[in-house]
Amino acid sequence: MHRLPTLLSGIFLIFLTSWIGLVAYPALQLGRLTPVADADLGTSFPPVYGGESIAGQRVYASEGCVSCHSQQVRQTSVTTSDLQRGWGARPSVARDYLRDSTAFLGSRRLGQDLANVGQRLPEAKWHYLHLYAPASVSEGSIMPSYANLFSVRKIEGEHSKEALDLSGSFAPKPGYEVVPTAEAKNLVAYLLSLRHDYPLPEADALTKSPAKPSH
Amino acid sequence: MSANLFPMHYCAEAQAEAGIKSRAIDESLRLPVLALFGNAVHWLLISALISLVLAIKLVIPDFLGGISFLNYGRLAPIARDLFLYGWAAQAAFAAGIWLTARLAGRPLADKEACSVAATMQRTLLICATVLWNLAILLGSLAILAGYSTGVEWLEYPNWASGALFACFLMIGIWAVLLYDRRINERAEVAQWYLVAGFCSFPWVYGSANLLLTWKPLPAPAQGAVQAWFSGSFPLLCLLPIAIAALYALLPRMQEAHLHRRTLAPLGFWSFLLLAGWSGIGNLIGGPIPAWMMASGVVSSVLFLIPVIIIAINLFGISSKVSVGYNSESGAAEEAPKSVAQRFLHLGVYALIFVGALTSFIAWPGISGVLRFTGVTDAKVELLLFGAVSLPLFGVLYKAIPLLLGRESWCPKLAEGHYWLAAVGFWLLAGVLALSGLFTGLALSDPTVTFLNITSYGFPFHVLEVVAQLLLFVAALMLGFNVTRAFAGEYLFPKRS
Repeated sequence: MHRLPTLLSGIFLIFLTSWIGLVAYPALQLGRLTPVADADLGTSFPPVYGGESIAGQRVYASEGCVSCHSQQVRQTSVTTSDLQRGWGARPSVARDYLRDSTAFLGSRRLGQDLANVGQRLPEAKWHYLHLYAPASVSEGSIMPSYANLFSVRKIEGEHSKEALDLSGSFAPKPGYEVVPTAEAKNLVAYLLSLRHDYPLPEADALTKSPAKPSH
Repeated sequence: MSANLFPMHYCAEAQAEAGIKSRAIDESLRLPVLALFGNAVHWLLISALISLVLAIKLVIPDFLGGISFLNYGRLAPIARDLFLYGWAAQAAFAAGIWLTARLAGRPLADKEACSVAATMQRTLLICATVLWNLAILLGSLAILAGYSTGVEWLEYPNWASGALFACFLMIGIWAVLLYDRRINERAEVAQWYLVAGFCSFPWVYGSANLLLTWKPLPAPAQGAVQAWFSGSFPLLCLLPIAIAALYALLPRMQEAHLHRRTLAPLGFWSFLLLAGWSGIGNLIGGPIPAWMMASGVVSSVLFLIPVIIIAINLFGISSKVSVGYNSESGAAEEAPKSVAQRFLHLGVYALIFVGALTSFIAWPGISGVLRFTGVTDAKVELLLFGAVSLPLFGVLYKAIPLLLGRESWCPKLAEGHYWLAAVGFWLLAGVLALSGLFTGLALSDPTVTFLNITSYGFPFHVLEVVAQLLLFVAALMLGFNVTRAFAGEYLFPKRS
């Protein structure tokens, strides 16, 4: 290994092993997954996103949500606590991410897992309040306010139907209202579409393992 | 070990001859290496400031709140990226080029052989440095403005990451070519690691960017590639340069041979193999095939082996067990250890902790409890600030006076930097690990609500602020000291 070609080829071959295993193989295998057609329901899973959800992914990326939130329910062979905490009814599988442009798997849980947030918290209203003033719906939360996704404007004529129902210290000045911007709407649409509650053959196989969620 | 690079004290003639040669080598790299180091420490300072703000935000969520570009989610990736690409990668290039040239016993380009080539080479290096820093500046501003790609550690927009990739090619090629032009026939251990580090950067950064941001794969396949990158980038691109610094400098500073040198090749090859595979250990339990998970567990657990070998090689000399050259002169042993040497030593300890922690948290049962908690952050901190940055600080303190041709440090500031960095680093890693342990155990009990767990985290977050403050002041001292050294050079350009 004192000659450059020898050293370089050794390094190259050894890099190649993990590259083939962890880059090329997933690209060829997992990269070719397709939706599973369900003949009974006449649809395919995972369901496709609407336009707003697709735009919402961009907001999710640019606001850096992935810094604090993961999107994966772990397999029961490793832990059952994700299921028990109600973060999902089954472990996440690769096909669940099929409709995403980026897989926001995350590495930290300073906040809760969001893989099934649309199922757990299905109300758009709640999410708007939570994004604007997290403590207003979740006291003690350390999530920062994403007030930049909302506009505070003077009420002219009628109250906007979209205005947030804020009270107490969170309410805007009298005569003003807080309405979500298009970005907030897209982000919430995306969050609501995060739900792995459809059947997939490989996921069914995973849940058949002995460890069962307690509730 | 060849005697001609960092002169040993056992032969006055060889030392004098080597001294002239070393000066010629330093002269050839002076500007690019100083530019890389100078920029790196200032990015480190900015990154430390942002990390401090982020730590405060965890205690007071409304701190600097409501402003889009100061939100936690936008600042967090910038702090990490500035640390990775602004500081660590850039300092690794600087240290790597300097060490490669010194170990090879050759100037970057032989002026006498071909002055045009020498000038071109230096121009290319300077251009790459300028472009690199420009890409980091503009890329970070783009993240602030909301143009992040959303892929962890690869948040820079495509034009910025493309520029970084191109710059790297312009920088790295010289290091590899220098290896081939070295004068010592038997390469040293440090030289292998240098070549490995410089070779892996384009490979790892290029293929991860290509498949995740430039031309993204379908999302189901991205998880594995993300995990591979999160392991490979720090372990294969940055850490080898830091390890090379340890292998090159520690024996010379102590005037001793490596302990059990015959183990080193095993350490080197197993390090490269396992480091590449161990990244997938960051995704244990995730949406990947079972065999991949198993390979992540196995390689992460086995990662302890190369780390132990490196520790044996280096600790043999640290504890002065092996026979040195200095049997006649006892003076060197009594002299207090330099700041550079102490940073290098601390780096070895951090490396051992990284190996142990990587191996420990990869066991599926343990990963199930500790993954996603502060323990994950503690590992990243131990790796990036500990095993990678501490040895790089060591090289910086050693190289800059040699490159400037004079003792350029304010010793009190250097001393202060060492102590604050050491205390801040261990405090941060300890607090993160401890908070992760509590959080992980609490998360395993579904009767404890998530908000409850968040409230337990409060005292830890306060301690994190203290640690980040120490690290920020440490970075400030380093930044000031480097600026002062450079300014002194500019204002009073006398050479000793």
